[in-house]
Order: sequence, then C-alpha cells, then structure tokens
Amino acid sequence: MAVRTIEVRERVMARNDELAADVRRLLAEHRVPAFNLVSSPGSGKTLLLERTLQELGGRLRIAVITGDVQTQNDADRLSRYTDRLVQAVVTGGACHLDARQILTALEEVDLANTDLVFIENVGNLVCPASWDLGEAAKIVLFSTTEGEDKPAKYPKMFQQSSYAVFTKMDLLPHLTFEMEKAKAQALEVNPDLSFFFTSARTGDGLDEWYAFLEGQVAEARRA
Amino acid sequence: MHEMSIAMEVCSIAEAHVPPEQLTSVVEVGLEVGDQAGVEVDSLEFCLEVLLTSPPFGNAKPVIERVTGDVLRVSYLEVDDGRPDD
Repeated sequence: MAVRTIEVRERVMARNDELAADVRRLLAEHRVPAFNLVSSPGSGKTLLLERTLQELGGRLRIAVITGDVQTQNDADRLSRYTDRLVQAVVTGGACHLDARQILTALEEVDLANTDLVFIENVGNLVCPASWDLGEAAKIVLFSTTEGEDKPAKYPKMFQQSSYAVFTKMDLLPHLTFEMEKAKAQALEVNPDLSFFFTSARTGDGLDEWYAFLEGQVAEARRA
Repeated sequence: MHEMSIAMEVCSIAEAHVPPEQLTSVVEVGLEVGDQAGVEVDSLEFCLEVLLTSPPFGNAKPVIERVTGDVLRVSYLEVDDGRPDD
C-alpha cells in the first residue's frame, strides 16, 4: 500500500487563539478591560463579584460573563446587583470557557456603554489555564481555606495569572493557613504575581481591589 | 478534563488538511504533546481513538509523541491512498 505523509505542524490551540485575538480586538476598540477570574470551586469568585458590583457598580458599568457547569445560580446571584450585563454560559459539563463562548456572549453586551468586563470562569484550577479568552489578565483567587501548596500543585494556573487575590481573609485566625508560605509558593512559580488580600464578607482589602480596577479602566481609556 | 475538546480540535485540523472523500483513508494522526501542555495523554489518546474511528474518519489511529514544554500540535497525517507501492 502507498501511504503518503502530510506535514501539518499546526498548534491545536490555534483556532482558540485566533478567536481570543478577536475578543481582544473587540475589547480594545471599546477600550474595555476584561478580567478572567479563575480559581478552584468555592473560593469565593461569585461573592467577590457580588460585593464588587454592589460597591463599584455606581461608579463603573460592569458586565459579567459567568461560566457555570450546570446551573444559572451564579448569574442569578449577580443579576441582583446589576439590572443588565450578566451573561451566563452554561457549559453543560465542560470544565472551562473558551474564546468562542466569550465572543458569542459579548455580542449581547453593550460594550459602548460598558467600562469593565469580568469573566467568571468555571471553578477549576486545571483546564481554564489552557484557554486564552482574550482577557487583559487572568486573576486567580486563592482562599485561605485551601492548602498553601495550591500554586505548587497547579503551577500552570498561577503562571498564567497576573494577579492573585487571597479571599476569606477574615477566617485566617481560625485556620492553620500560613500566608507567608502561600505567598512564597505562588512567587516561586510566578515571580511577577501581584497580590490582594481580601474578605468579601467584612470588606477588608477591597479598597485596594477597587482602586486597582478603577486604575485599569482609566488606563484602558487612555490607550 | 478538557481532552475531548482538544481531541475534537485535532479532528478539525485533520479535516482541514484532507479532502472530505479521503478522510476514511487517513491511517495515522501524529501529535506532539508537551509535558507542560496541561493535557492528560492517556485521556487524549482515548478520545482520539473514539473520534478517529467514527465518521467522517474510517480507521485512523493517534500517534502521540511526548515532548518537553507546552507544545500541543498536530505534526502530520498519514493517508493510505490505496494504490500499490511503486
């Protein structure tokens, strides 16, 4: 039999990356920064967003795209704090969001009247690290109820993220979590990580978080 | 957990390189998967074994080369055009 070989040499993620570039172009046209929130399940992504919408929603027009595996729960929770701009992507079992879903969800967002976009990814520290969604940056949430070694266990997620937000800081006195150890482990896999230390319940540390977001919006407008 | 998405993308890439009527003649799909690619090779192989033996493919098999780094790409396709050897 005659077998011929076709050279392909094509990156598997090439198509996603093209779509991510489309997302990035679309957001840049409207000068809107987008942040992709990633974390393990239960680290407090939705609560941080609820509080952020509540307290920053008066100053910034914030759109949220949520990715939930099976329910609308996160979108329902968030829609209490904003009468528009919450787009839910029910992934039907998939473990991550991809750039095509973001591009589709953005069609429903009035970007001309939006200052900031959050993408609440599926709670999972593995798969979302592999998908570029066209975001300005990935922000990983790291709750104090997790092990300090999360960055060592899931290095790719911490390498792909530009910021790490420690959550549930109010619980620290009740836990054995060692903050210095956690920070050291995170910096070991990504020396460029910047940190926030927050409690969405008490509000501690959120001023820095809001100042950062407002700064990012101002910077995008100047671009 | 996202190996099926990756496998489906691999199939799309293969389909883009071979005319539709020859897809059943694809015998091998060669891939390079890096150790930092975030892909579970056994799971990817299983997904590809299923997809590459279902229409529009006939009976192709995945050949995965493990490499270092975050490489994840389709390197080659082998097509048996049915003609005898020259």
